[in-house]
Amino acid sequence: MKLTRRELLAVAGAGAGAVALGGLGIHHLITESYSKKLKIRGAKEVISICPFCSVSCHFIAHVKGGKVVSTEGDPGYPISQGALCAKGATMLSMINSDHRLVKPKYRAPFSDRWEEKSWSWMIEKLARRIKDTRDKHFVTTNAEGKRVNRLDTLFHAGSSQMSNEEASVVVQGMRALGIVNIDHQARI
Amino acid sequence: MTNSWIDIKNTDCCLIIGSNAAEHHPICFKWVMKAKEERGATIIHVDPKFSRTSARSDFHVPLRSGTDIAFMGGMIHYILSNNKYFHEYVNDYTNASFIVNSRYSFNNGLFSGYNPRTKLYNKADWQFETDANGRVKRDPTFRHPNCVINVLKRHYSRYTLQKVSDITGVTRENLLKVYEAFSATGRRDKAGTILYALGWTQHTVGVQNIRTSGIVQLLLGNAGVAGGGVNALRGEPNVQGTTDHAILYNVLPGYLPVPRANMQTLEEYNKLSTPVSNEPESVNWWQNRPKYTVSLLKAYFGNNARSDNDFGYAWLPKADPVKSESEGDYSYMYLYEKIMRGEIKGGSIWATNPANTLPNTNKNREALSKLEFLYISEIHHNETTDFWHGPGMDPKKVKTEVFLFPSCHRAEKEGSISSSGRHILWHFKAVNPKGDSKPMGQIMIDIMKEVIRLYKKEGGAFPEPIVNLNWYRSYDAELIAKRCNGWFTSGAKKGKQLNGFTEFAADGSTASLNWLYAGTFTDEENRMKRMSLEQTPLQKAVGIYPKYAWVWPMNRWILYNRASVDKNGQPWDPSRTIIRWTGSEWEGDVPDGPAPPLGMQGGKNPFIMLKDGLGQLFGSGLVDGPLPEHYEPVETPVRNHGFSGQLTNPCAKILTGDTDKIAQPNDPRYPIVLTTYSLTEHWCGGSETRNVPSLLEAEPQLYVEMSHELAREKGIANGDAVIVESIRGRVEAVAMVTVRITPFKIQGKTVHLVGMPFAFGWTKPGIGDSTNRLTLWAGDPNTSIPEYKACCVNIRKADSVTELSDTPVQEGPGH
Amino acid sequence: MSKAFFIDTSRCTACRGCQVACKEWQGFPANFTKQLGWGSHQNPPDLNCYNYKVVRFSEHKINNRVLWNFFPDQCRHCLEPPCKAAADHYVKNAVVIDEPTGAVVFTERTKKIPNEGFLSMKEYCPYNIPRRNPETGVINKCDLCFERIEAGHIPMCVKTCPTGAMNFGERGAMLSLARSRLATVKAEFPDASLLDEDSVRIIYLITLKREEYHDLASLKNPVLTRSIG
Repeated sequence: MKLTRRELLAVAGAGAGAVALGGLGIHHLITESYSKKLKIRGAKEVISICPFCSVSCHFIAHVKGGKVVSTEGDPGYPISQGALCAKGATMLSMINSDHRLVKPKYRAPFSDRWEEKSWSWMIEKLARRIKDTRDKHFVTTNAEGKRVNRLDTLFHAGSSQMSNEEASVVVQGMRALGIVNIDHQARI
Repeated sequence: MTNSWIDIKNTDCCLIIGSNAAEHHPICFKWVMKAKEERGATIIHVDPKFSRTSARSDFHVPLRSGTDIAFMGGMIHYILSNNKYFHEYVNDYTNASFIVNSRYSFNNGLFSGYNPRTKLYNKADWQFETDANGRVKRDPTFRHPNCVINVLKRHYSRYTLQKVSDITGVTRENLLKVYEAFSATGRRDKAGTILYALGWTQHTVGVQNIRTSGIVQLLLGNAGVAGGGVNALRGEPNVQGTTDHAILYNVLPGYLPVPRANMQTLEEYNKLSTPVSNEPESVNWWQNRPKYTVSLLKAYFGNNARSDNDFGYAWLPKADPVKSESEGDYSYMYLYEKIMRGEIKGGSIWATNPANTLPNTNKNREALSKLEFLYISEIHHNETTDFWHGPGMDPKKVKTEVFLFPSCHRAEKEGSISSSGRHILWHFKAVNPKGDSKPMGQIMIDIMKEVIRLYKKEGGAFPEPIVNLNWYRSYDAELIAKRCNGWFTSGAKKGKQLNGFTEFAADGSTASLNWLYAGTFTDEENRMKRMSLEQTPLQKAVGIYPKYAWVWPMNRWILYNRASVDKNGQPWDPSRTIIRWTGSEWEGDVPDGPAPPLGMQGGKNPFIMLKDGLGQLFGSGLVDGPLPEHYEPVETPVRNHGFSGQLTNPCAKILTGDTDKIAQPNDPRYPIVLTTYSLTEHWCGGSETRNVPSLLEAEPQLYVEMSHELAREKGIANGDAVIVESIRGRVEAVAMVTVRITPFKIQGKTVHLVGMPFAFGWTKPGIGDSTNRLTLWAGDPNTSIPEYKACCVNIRKADSVTELSDTPVQEGPGH
Repeated sequence: MSKAFFIDTSRCTACRGCQVACKEWQGFPANFTKQLGWGSHQNPPDLNCYNYKVVRFSEHKINNRVLWNFFPDQCRHCLEPPCKAAADHYVKNAVVIDEPTGAVVFTERTKKIPNEGFLSMKEYCPYNIPRRNPETGVINKCDLCFERIEAGHIPMCVKTCPTGAMNFGERGAMLSLARSRLATVKAEFPDASLLDEDSVRIIYLITLKREEYHDLASLKNPVLTRSIG
């Protein structure tokens, strides 16, 4: 039987006491419906930083059994004080995403598909390509006869997604190869 | 940023121009709101579109994209003609009294020294007059017609309210409202800040846009003070740190100029890259550059870098000198040209998605197919990784070999990043990398290890820089961070870490991967890991946390803070003290050098990174002029802007090949201005955020925001599929018809503007594809940053669409 | 024992941290959304069983001034919740009140409520909040993060908010914060008001007339005649 408006008002009018049934019974009902415990209870807290805009909001990763089970803002970072925007609020999904790349992949010339390969296969094959290209195209002097010791035929397009330490090794490596065509998404 | 995120709370007036701070740096709005509520600050948003930032500002002033210099030039004119500038500050701390060379001229939009063949200026005429000792001649009375402040007055006298209003589309009433509110901060007890972002840089006059704010802030005494500054809200997660570490063609780590072919030896390099000042009050910090360069070489090549081999300087590649618009420019802009011409055979694209985010995307996608090989490090498939089977590509015809390395998430590795406020912060490793993914640093180390092994075994072309490299066994962020900080390589302290960059030497006794990071990692501790909120009362009042991580340089929170005090070292505004001279030392923030205040024995000028130490109202540092001048975007709805006969920036870098068409000014086929932007829910090209379901749910499809007036003209209703076309390409989008975009009145005529995000791409089917198929390759002459913010398009209702779907579509690559 | 939110929309920037953080905390999947035929930043368009919170956008041009209002909509946790009254009529204690916080909590037992009962709950909710998961049959909505509160944390949406739009505390404290903030805001926005502050635990401050927000922002609108969608 559908509840009528009159009946509703009658129930509601009986006051909060009638609605909020006190005592143990309620807690039992709630724990019944929320049988899982608070998911962050007992988790290890590790501080990381949102990888988007440069406010660099810190977030706490709650880790259980080697897996991130929840993320939320770090109130100790004096700039964000625990706040996050829509992007920062999704660290959990972002880290655990099933869409992520988890295997090295190779696409052969004229192929229409990816092939999964081992790390060592990839690194060896790529290092050979780099060396062959460098040996073939390395330029020691420019048109004016000035010593330039550079490799014009390779480029690096880099990222703001790297840590400082990663950027440092990437630049050191690229310059050692003689690469001068180096650019950054900072321009984007 | 010259100041910090927190420091925004100290402002009396916050001018947000060229930035949509609330949407793109959402958390910083905490501090904007604090300034508004606790200081009663006025928040002003000047932007083509009414956005979430505008909604929380005291007022929003719509301006036509690409007319910021006219707008800001009008403000400079207003400040000077109404005597609103902060006299004491301008007299003591800027070059207002310097006398400009009598040969300097400005005629019909061109400064003296222009060479139309190279599109460069000879800057000889822009220099200051000097006396017999090489000191700059000054006129502190400001009577000399060529003293800087008078040159400035003459230059901006043309920027009248009427002219500015005509070209920007901002009403005179709105112009005055902003000019009055902001110039009210030109007093010792007031401070105003300017927040800008890519809305300023992504123009062919990008750097000069920023120069206007430098001039305004110097005139108003807002540079170096709490609640002031010129604040670049950097748009990317570690764009500050990764540019500090120089993933750039034009600099080495720590902003050391890249060696060029005209610098054959270290001596020549030092000579050409080290400024000399004859001003006794100038610190001229860059005179230390040779120390940083040698220390970098020591860090790169270890013991193989010795004084008898020029520390391995010859092993660094030398770029060609800058001889014209394009020569010596190794940026993206010319990179794709070189790929198209077959001059580049392969390369690496790491954690960036140029097949979606670079202008004229159709061309860039084609260019990738001309490479022999490409190695990519990514966290998801995107338009770049999978370009070879993208729209219009036949994989069977694409030769490019692609190596795709899975990189891990930041929470799966440790290391440091640098926020926009130059705050170097440590992130800890929460869990192991997912699957077989790895940190990008590890991938680079492994690739180079194998290359080094091959060269050691086989020899090859010029193996020295490779076999002599001071390389790594595996990726250890703390070890690399230590090397960035720097260490003593010889002497009594051999093996010890440096405490700061004052300890560097040019004799090879110190090494560092980046001098700016000296002080981050001492023998005592990794300061980037510090999390103490301890403050002195003075630091608390302005929001400085000296023990929370570490800020470059030298843990200085506010750059040029010596300009926050008068010549006696006392703060202009005691309620906003950053530093104060106690009589024997400085207290508060770390000052720009220990020297006493300018008015005392041994006192120094405040702007220590500038050669003469004074704020440059007029300066010769930029490619395209000593003063900002209004020029139209390269694609413009206007034929004549009324400021001069020079329609566009004479130095702008422009590609004009067959694949880079540019519409003529006021082309009737493309009458509408397009501006592009990001949005809160996605980041940059979107390849990460599109793959987070709750973010895609919040912003699911490519849209184009337009006014009701334009929609009516074109018969478009909200939610309709439309086609947006430029001379270069066409894009499908959904019409978002809104009051937040209003038509502009330009020179008496209506000009429409539409805006589009660029975060959507074909690898997520049904959501739309790259907006940048519309944008053009025209770049700022100083930075080569493309003009994403203004080009010309047309728009019509679509009969049918293929890029947008009404129903869920099966997942793209990777699923 | 009485908790409350004060949601100050004059401080909201619609960053949607709250909307998304709530979803993440609850572990909810995304809905399919689109702009075609819709053309709005308000996505998903409405509350649903996977979105306890949706930031609503409404824009106006009044006297040539553009106004863009943001309203992070969610359950108001009424002091005397009609949804509970309606639910009890069908399944006793399918809806309960969490004593320590005052949160109105929809339990798993709501599964047993027949469709007619669900429709009643929706109809009598002045804000059209209850939603039913079509797969599990559970009726759900915001639970005030009562578990977080009991573990000493603040609700996820409040924690995530950068600008002080979302506030959480004892009801008395929130009411006085709301009133003092209203007094301040009225100087700039004479039409500002609090919404139904005497009957709810989620107290909104809006700066313009109620009509400038979505039609279910406040109790005073004729909600009972609205069709259920």
